[in-house]
Amino acid sequence: MILRSSHIISLGLCLSLCSTFITSCQQQQSTTSSSEGKAELGTFEGQSGSINIAGGTAHIPVMQKAAKAIMASHPDIQITIAGGGSGVGAQQAGKGLVDIGNTGRPLKEKELALGLVSHPFAIDGVAIIIHPDNPVGELSSQQVASIYAGTTTNWKDLGGADQAIHLFTRDEASGTRSVFVKKLLKQGTVAQHANVTASNGAMKTAIAGDPGAIGYCSIGYINEMVKAPKLDGIEPSNANCVSGEYPVMRKLYMNTKGNPEGLAKTFIDFICSKEASTYIEASGYIPLHAGN
Amino acid sequence: MRARLFHLWCLVCTCCLILTLGGIVFYLVSQSLPYLNGALFFGDTPVWDAISGKTRVWGALWPACVGTFSVTIIALLIALLPGIATGIWLAEFPRSRFSTGLGLAIDVLAGTPSVLMGLFGFTMILFLREHIAPAANHSLLLSASCLAILILPYLASTTRTAMQSVPLSLRISTHALGMNHWQRIWYVLLPRSTKGILSGIMLSFGRAAEDTAVIMLTGAVASAGLPSSLLARYEALPFSIFYYSAQYQTKGELGLAFGASVTLMCLTATTFAITGMVYQQSLSPHHD
Amino acid sequence: MQETDSILPAASRIPHLCLLGLVIPVFVLIALLFGFLFWFSLPVFYSGGNSIFSGEWQPEQGHFGIIPMIKGSMLLAVLTLCLSFPAAVGISGFCLLHPKHRITSLVHGMVRFMTGIPTVVYGLAALMLLVPLLRTWFTQSSGFGLLACLLALSLLTLPVMIMILENQLRESLNQHQLTGTSLGMSRSEILTHIIIPCAPQAFASAIVLGFGRAVGDTMLPLMLAGNAPQNPESLFDSIRTLTAHIGLVLSTEHGSATYNSLFASGFMLLAISVSLTVITRKLERSYQRRHPQASSSAQP
Repeated sequence: MILRSSHIISLGLCLSLCSTFITSCQQQQSTTSSSEGKAELGTFEGQSGSINIAGGTAHIPVMQKAAKAIMASHPDIQITIAGGGSGVGAQQAGKGLVDIGNTGRPLKEKELALGLVSHPFAIDGVAIIIHPDNPVGELSSQQVASIYAGTTTNWKDLGGADQAIHLFTRDEASGTRSVFVKKLLKQGTVAQHANVTASNGAMKTAIAGDPGAIGYCSIGYINEMVKAPKLDGIEPSNANCVSGEYPVMRKLYMNTKGNPEGLAKTFIDFICSKEASTYIEASGYIPLHAGN
Repeated sequence: MRARLFHLWCLVCTCCLILTLGGIVFYLVSQSLPYLNGALFFGDTPVWDAISGKTRVWGALWPACVGTFSVTIIALLIALLPGIATGIWLAEFPRSRFSTGLGLAIDVLAGTPSVLMGLFGFTMILFLREHIAPAANHSLLLSASCLAILILPYLASTTRTAMQSVPLSLRISTHALGMNHWQRIWYVLLPRSTKGILSGIMLSFGRAAEDTAVIMLTGAVASAGLPSSLLARYEALPFSIFYYSAQYQTKGELGLAFGASVTLMCLTATTFAITGMVYQQSLSPHHD
Repeated sequence: MQETDSILPAASRIPHLCLLGLVIPVFVLIALLFGFLFWFSLPVFYSGGNSIFSGEWQPEQGHFGIIPMIKGSMLLAVLTLCLSFPAAVGISGFCLLHPKHRITSLVHGMVRFMTGIPTVVYGLAALMLLVPLLRTWFTQSSGFGLLACLLALSLLTLPVMIMILENQLRESLNQHQLTGTSLGMSRSEILTHIIIPCAPQAFASAIVLGFGRAVGDTMLPLMLAGNAPQNPESLFDSIRTLTAHIGLVLSTEHGSATYNSLFASGFMLLAISVSLTVITRKLERSYQRRHPQASSSAQP
């Protein structure tokens, strides 16, 4: 008797799942996958093995697009991608746990001492983001600093609605955080009550759901889900980063322990090549090598 | 008066539980229904290519399902014999100092937060790399070993309970038959507690499949495809739920999170239901 | 049993050694686990001890105190129990009062089902349902925080407490029912006036186990509590627990103060869980002394 209802619940769930699974399998037979762009990936010809990538979350879209293209034409190559933040990238590459560790900031002294070699491949900025319904369209650096220090607590004071400001920041391992604190807050404090999110994507998702929120993320991640107010009158865009108008910018790096070899080298060369610039641009960043 | 109030409180709590849980399950199922189809598992890859591993699946759950299954099964394989052996030991040799220590250790282990197993795995691999095996890395095997530590106490304590619940009369009869200790364990006690042990195995399977904190720190990644070897990184269902729920960029990715959660819930709920059934059966003959 | 242990006949020695060969690695492994965590956290207490146990976490300013995380973990667990313990008493009370009722078997089924629901699934549901709701109700908070987390956590801690309470209370209810009925008491009166006052130990076990669950959970605080390393002051404050702290800062530069705080947190968690286990064992012993006929299967 004890078991009957739990049985029914779980069996029902399972049956429904199985049936959708089976019916859809039949539908799926007709669809085919397309593989294009084979010609550009010639350098991977004849190579096999695996590349482990971890670190900066701003890099993930680029890495995923490139990995998808590479693996579609070269099934012998396995590429795994993990996030974690720049600190993770530097640490794991330094320990040799991953082949390529991404960082969204230059390496620190201690990290350089591990024998890491940096390969910058794109330019990216860090922008303040707010909910798209928020009427505030422009913020000054002082305003941002006072918001993050916890002295300004209501959007009313910034020309917005009467609504408490919900602060969001990134975790300690984040390169986005260190660039933000260094270049925008000028090493100012981040209030203790700020919520912490663990990646650029999570930051954007959190801001997109909360009308009173303010956060910051990589410019490449900004789309219609969130709004990026002007900073001191300058539109945060990667074009303005390149021209030097928008100050909160950084390069995106891939790091390897020592000089890269084999498959990792091919991969880094590919990301830095002209062919991969489409993936970088499609992710919202400006490639460093092609044309710049 | 007090009894009345208490009765009322009981009713209120029970209603709240039923409504809340019903609401949550309904919400999850209704949110994931539009996504429960082949594309959820295989994306736009043809099904047989995906299953055979010929083509890598992107933005779908198939690699995560395979990852979860393999990591759970491997963890079980690692923990099975030591776990059951520990249970037998605790049930049959309870009085030595070693056994007391072992029992305490198992109890402490059962109460240890799973994130500590993850932390252990993480530091262990750094230690191994520096001192013993420079090629050691975060991998399926590492996660499975840490999960094995996590489920060990479940296996041990269910085995112990099952062995101890064998009726005294039966034990006495084995003495009367002149069996020695090992004959008794092998021919009488173990066969009598098979069902209890089986339910312990299912329980550990469920625990290993649902745990997120351990695999998050020891090798589960956002994108890896089918696990290519024991030493490769992999995707797993619980980690996918965590990953996509925190940072979905499109409705489709959120759908993946809901789909994964219903899939995982089916998996664990079924194992737990079977566990309950087996366990119930294991108890009933002794209580008659 | 005891006599045969000491003088094993020769034929029994091989299986005995086999078993021992399996059991000793388990013991070694467990010792290794605790030894490792202890070994790695030792330097923290030697060197940066003062910094680690200060009350402020401001990595940019060089403050690496984990006191806010300890407070967060404790407060969260205590508040979770404040909510889930009375509820567990109520639900197990219902099952005891109406043992044959259809709803009781439904509740039993649900409790079983709940033990099988993965933590992340609770996290996902709370993230999508609860957090937006809290945000619209209490505009001061972003929805993430103590309240959201404790609501979700109390659901997680419920099943284990209900199972313990029901098992242990049923035992004494069976003992006292005949006496009570002969005094003309109803079932609910027996429960409130006799059983519950006489079973502080059952409640204590439930509380200790529930507390352990609440302190040890990683995913719910990580997903719902907001993770701000501050000293919590109100229900809507965002908090960071020890477990979430480990998950968040796991990978920072080796040997840095942030990295050390990881092991300090791990050590604190370990200390908490070990002391809880010791208390549980004490309680279990006293229960077995009081109910010698009850099997030790009370622990789920």
